Amino acid sequence: MSRNRDLLSKIGLRLDGRRPDELRRIRCKLGVFTEPDGSAYLEQGLTKVLAAVYGPHQVRGGRSKAQHDTAIINCQFSMAVFSTTDRKKRPRGDRKSTELSMHLQQALEAVIKSELYPWSQIDVYVEVLHADGGIYTACVNAATLALIDAGIPLKEYVCACTASLANNDVPMIDISHQEEIIGGPTLTVAALPMSGKIVLMEMSQRFHMDHLEKVLNKALQGCKDIRQILDEAVRLHVRDIGSSTGWANTS
Amino acid sequence: MSLCEAEKTFVLHGVEENFRLDGREREDYRPMELETDIVLHAFGSARLRLANTDVLVAVKIEIDVPFPERSKEGKLEFFVDCSANATPDFEGRGGEDLAVEIANTLSSAYRSKHAFDLTKLCILKGKKCWKVYVDILLLECGGNLFDAVSLAVKAALWNTQVPKVHGVNIDGNNIELNVSEELYDCDRLDVKNAPVMVTVCKIGEKCIVDPSVAEEQCSVGSIVVAVSGDKFSTVLQTGTGSLHPATLMESLKLGHRVAQRLDEALWATLRQIKPGQDVGFLK
Amino acid sequence: MFTTKVFIKKTRIGNFLKNVREHYIRDDIFCGVPSCDKCTPVESFLSSIHKNECSSYDFNHYLILDTNVILDQMDVLDEDVIGNVIILHTVLKEVKHRSLPIYKRLHSIIENPSRHFYVFTNDHHKDTYIKQNDGELVNDYNDRSIRKSCLWYMDHLPKEKFIFLSDDVNNRNIALEEGILACSIREYVSHLVNGAALEDKLSRKDYHIDSNTKDVFPPHLTNVELLNGIKEGALYQGTFRASRDNFLEGFVNVESLDDPVIVQGRTGLNRAVDGDFVVVNLFNKEDWISPSEIVLEDDGVAEENIDEVEKKERQLKKSAHKKKGEIKPTGRVVGIIRRKWRQYCGILQGGMDGVYQLFIPADKSIPKIRIETRQAEFLRTQKLIVTIDSWPRHSRYPHGHFVRALGKIGDQNTENEVVLLEHDVPHSQFSEEVLSCLPKLPWIITEEDEQKRVDLRHIDICSVDPPGCTDIDDALHCRPIGEGRLEVGVHIADVSHFIRPGTALDLEAASRATTVYLVNKRIDMVPDLLSSNLCSLRGGEERFAFSCVWEMDENANILNTRFHKSIIRSRSAMTYEEAQMTIDDKTKTDSIAESLRSLNKLAKILKKGRLEKGALVLASPEVKIQMDSETMEPLDVEVKKLFETNSMVEEFMLLANISVAQKILEDFPECAMLRRHPTPPTSNFDPLVKAGRHLGFDIKIESGKQLAKSLDDAVKPDNPYMNTMLRILATRCMLQAVYFASGSLQKDEYFHYGLAVPLYTHFTSPIRRYADIIVHRLLAVTCGSDCTYPDLLDKQKTGNLCQNLNYRNRMAQYAGRASVAFNTHLFFKGKLQDEDGYILYVRKNALQILIPKYGLECTLFLAHKGETSNIFEYNEEDQTQKAGDVVLHSFDPVKVRLSLNSDNIQHEKFVLQLVSPCISGFSVPPLSEIEKMEVVDDKKRKSANDGHKKKNKKRS
Repeated sequence: MSRNRDLLSKIGLRLDGRRPDELRRIRCKLGVFTEPDGSAYLEQGLTKVLAAVYGPHQVRGGRSKAQHDTAIINCQFSMAVFSTTDRKKRPRGDRKSTELSMHLQQALEAVIKSELYPWSQIDVYVEVLHADGGIYTACVNAATLALIDAGIPLKEYVCACTASLANNDVPMIDISHQEEIIGGPTLTVAALPMSGKIVLMEMSQRFHMDHLEKVLNKALQGCKDIRQILDEAVRLHVRDIGSSTGWANTS
Repeated sequence: MSLCEAEKTFVLHGVEENFRLDGREREDYRPMELETDIVLHAFGSARLRLANTDVLVAVKIEIDVPFPERSKEGKLEFFVDCSANATPDFEGRGGEDLAVEIANTLSSAYRSKHAFDLTKLCILKGKKCWKVYVDILLLECGGNLFDAVSLAVKAALWNTQVPKVHGVNIDGNNIELNVSEELYDCDRLDVKNAPVMVTVCKIGEKCIVDPSVAEEQCSVGSIVVAVSGDKFSTVLQTGTGSLHPATLMESLKLGHRVAQRLDEALWATLRQIKPGQDVGFLK
Repeated sequence: MFTTKVFIKKTRIGNFLKNVREHYIRDDIFCGVPSCDKCTPVESFLSSIHKNECSSYDFNHYLILDTNVILDQMDVLDEDVIGNVIILHTVLKEVKHRSLPIYKRLHSIIENPSRHFYVFTNDHHKDTYIKQNDGELVNDYNDRSIRKSCLWYMDHLPKEKFIFLSDDVNNRNIALEEGILACSIREYVSHLVNGAALEDKLSRKDYHIDSNTKDVFPPHLTNVELLNGIKEGALYQGTFRASRDNFLEGFVNVESLDDPVIVQGRTGLNRAVDGDFVVVNLFNKEDWISPSEIVLEDDGVAEENIDEVEKKERQLKKSAHKKKGEIKPTGRVVGIIRRKWRQYCGILQGGMDGVYQLFIPADKSIPKIRIETRQAEFLRTQKLIVTIDSWPRHSRYPHGHFVRALGKIGDQNTENEVVLLEHDVPHSQFSEEVLSCLPKLPWIITEEDEQKRVDLRHIDICSVDPPGCTDIDDALHCRPIGEGRLEVGVHIADVSHFIRPGTALDLEAASRATTVYLVNKRIDMVPDLLSSNLCSLRGGEERFAFSCVWEMDENANILNTRFHKSIIRSRSAMTYEEAQMTIDDKTKTDSIAESLRSLNKLAKILKKGRLEKGALVLASPEVKIQMDSETMEPLDVEVKKLFETNSMVEEFMLLANISVAQKILEDFPECAMLRRHPTPPTSNFDPLVKAGRHLGFDIKIESGKQLAKSLDDAVKPDNPYMNTMLRILATRCMLQAVYFASGSLQKDEYFHYGLAVPLYTHFTSPIRRYADIIVHRLLAVTCGSDCTYPDLLDKQKTGNLCQNLNYRNRMAQYAGRASVAFNTHLFFKGKLQDEDGYILYVRKNALQILIPKYGLECTLFLAHKGETSNIFEYNEEDQTQKAGDVVLHSFDPVKVRLSLNSDNIQHEKFVLQLVSPCISGFSVPPLSEIEKMEVVDDKKRKSANDGHKKKNKKRS
């Protein structure tokens, strides 16, 4: 009990000085690389992620995999060996990476208008440079930006956010690594913030039903806040590119 | 990227004329950007961007036991990861061959005592030493990986801070280290002679340095030379083609010359870097 | 704003990691001062009315404390003289890092609104956050942060005054230079208006070493020397235990050595206090000695004088002997790794003038403590709490300070307070927050309640309890339902209806864990409104209950079991005696009487079945003290009377508990709260088996069943009490029963040894036990009348809760016994009585006598300690003492004279003298004869007085 109590001080500040409903600082940039069709860099607090999108292009490795009515969304999640405090042995291929790749794919398939690209494939690669809690959410958010940078049609933004419970009572969002360790269960939600739909939800431990709703609501609110930040970044990026081609003022 | 015959001929003629695709001469490098301290939780780090080649290097250190046959030395290990961000070909284990080749070349380049003094990493002979992990992440491939990697590694090692060991308590087999927990109380590594690698690429009859992706495709063979101070620490021939001994000697000389120039430029840049800058991919 | 914190941390496996943490800096943190109009206010306990009055400053002010003040002077802060204190977050973190107990105390002050403390999160505030400079030590950085905040407050609120208290001279001087009002806590407190009482509580760490004073103790080694010594195996570390009889002797339990290390004398003990974790240096083998057998008491009075100790040391040395086979490792304490100092209860030693006084702790293993006080005259009449601050080399006694007075010595209330404190029983008034969770009166049963509950108001239910019981938590009924079947119901007060999980009331009850019964006082687990009214199943009132209803046949076989919440109206709240009379009175044929008779019949069958399965019948003399209701003095001490109805109620409670245990384990295999009684290790039974053998009985201990049977068989017609005595011995062999979470143990460990059932829990007394409340909640979920909550399903949390419950239960039990002992003493004060007793054990120089009438167990010395009697002959083989032709065996009945020795006011003792069997030269004549003789013969009275004198002699 006492361990949980420490997550929130008496005046309602978290260990790093945030309030329960505040996100970490999010900074992002679109188009960081030239080689991929779309790329993005996103920082959520200290969690840093690079995402790259290739495609839509021909299906690699044999045509048999190709779908006649939709594009294949291929995701790979990878963590730099130095991304964690303890050095990792391998960047990918372990169970956790495979699971995260699948979850990423699940979230992105829900939002990409893949029916526009039959017989083709879209690759989304994410690389975690620094893991400090909420890896998955940062990956989803970065992948969204990279897809936008690649010009791939999306239904809307897909944003992800984590939430947990402080003092067994107060829901808090965007959980840092430190809070993940000393706190209780963490709820990860990927959602379409504009329509309010949930595309992926995952819990790290047992959660009591009584708490679920309020925590979920907070997480969804977090997704909406993230969407706003991403949207601003996209608009800024488009304006920058536009200004170099001379149509910036039309917006 | 694959080039057709005509394109290759165009590249080749450019090299002949000492006026390459992007306007460089044969011994010119493309523009480089270097940042250090980019990975906060590593003990040292650097990111080097050579045109479109993007390399991120982080250094982590751990306590380890020295090899019995080299009881007075610490350990240095290189690990290269080719991110699929660079090209879809690297997906899964696709980049492993390239990664291993780069890592091995680095290991042999740093193995010489002249290049990097491992005895300084030893804490207690035969019992305790530092193990330095140099982790290299290839984020984008725009040609000339070896050169970029070697420069980034050297910069990262230069940047590395090793906590000071204040004392060693020995109790039978149990050794306890008394390590300073204050951040400013650190040692820097000596990287004065750390090798710099230069890839010399033979296109047609001429040799160039810093080949772009297109030029790499036209090359008949290339040589990677690692130069530490004024000596070679390793030489590696890559590619499918064959070289005449005379060309080889010529390339070595070219590599040696360019490497020393490169090293000077690197030091000049490192000296200019101020600590505490908010750097990274947001620029 | 945003910044990062970077630090290197050592991991468990000896590696070094570089950690990076985010650190956000904000502009919306409230300064906490009510008069501020610049910040957005949030809740702050700082008050504009409270005044800190200190004569050094002629204005009201707020205080900002340095870390060292909090760490060292917590007792001063505990007093509510000082208020309007701003605790900086930097300081709070440092305190937490340095000392968790201090942090907890500070935390409870901060939480208390009337103390006017406020935590200012300075490290996240944009104006008070500063970056650590390159090369700056953490300590210096923290000091700088604190000063920065002080300056900020002065700048932020120019109209208010702030004073910075610090005992760090360096930090204080820099602060003064920077223009901050700063002073030391000593200076501040001594100028405080109403601060006289506080001055006593200042911790005295800042002693100055006078070069003239002689060192009383050798110095301790430095930490490095100690650690190296331990590593090299030259020194040993262990827990120091002081001897209770000899203040110059102690033992150090070293894990790697078989025997504890003896340490003797001033230099040997070298300032170790009982419980400390110390380092010892072993002597060479030829200097090893055996434990001393002499009793030495510390008579020291004056601080400076150590002659008397030296004399005692010589005495000890003289007595030092090297008995073969008893020689133990011997050494001396060379350093102390961890102090286990706590707060001690005790009294002041009389006969000293001046501000320095000696405090004698009630616990004999703790040395006297020197304190400084200006109210010695008053404190001498009081029981006190004192804590140790330091023990410098030049001081004969540790230095401490007075914490608070508990009340007059010998006063009932004071002694209750002492008992409660010594046993860590939470006994403060219920807080407002807790009381606010109570239902509002008048309490009525709503229609909704009626729908949710089974209405049992038409059934004739009654309760049976001891006389004067106001917290009735169980009631019973039994009625025929045809086909020769009976419906039996146990109805338990529905406390969990009123105590909702997570409320302040719930947390308080969980912390208290149990109601504690002292002789004349009850410390309730839940407020009176619940315990004696709304939950109590009083006669004639409609109450909520949790019912466990069985269908049984005539032979008490359970055909089916139901659990449900219900509404009941108990027809009558009876005492055991009344119920017994109702059963016995054949003329009564109302439904209650019938019901009781059926219950009684079933209970007998149940009990028989239980005993056949191997349940133990154990005995421990339980006494009841009759109190005078006006003077609150004990009138009489007697053994509790037991009726058949006692056992009847008990049987059904056991049955209900077992049924509930099965049910909740079925539905909550991981987190059910159960109670187990571990099988004792066979070595525990040694005294019992030995005693049995001397009497010619073979006590089998292989299983509970065998033990029960052999106890039943061990009967001697000429000594009916003997069997009870054997059972008393058997009881002492048992281990404590404990609560546990089902998921934390293997199934076969759930066993309850005493009751011989595989599963058991507590369900039937939720008013006075918290475990029952949890069980109620679990059961309510299984029968669908309530929902779960997270902590209920958390195995870990249930486990932690169990630990607290077990601890509190044990302490409550000890507290109860201590209270009985005190009141028994009070009753016997000045009395002289002859009583019947039995010999429990025969020892070398004494007999252990049990006096069943008072449930007392006392020692009858046959000779002075350490001497052998010239009258008695001890036979170790047979465990007998022989004097002339009288032979005393274990369990023999004797008559003894009982009186109370009050020489030591903190440790009153019973003194026994043998009356019969008559042994010339040792036993005393019966009192009744003396009285007769008084009238008849003056001369003989003299001889009786001689007897008295002799007794007095023996006391000394």
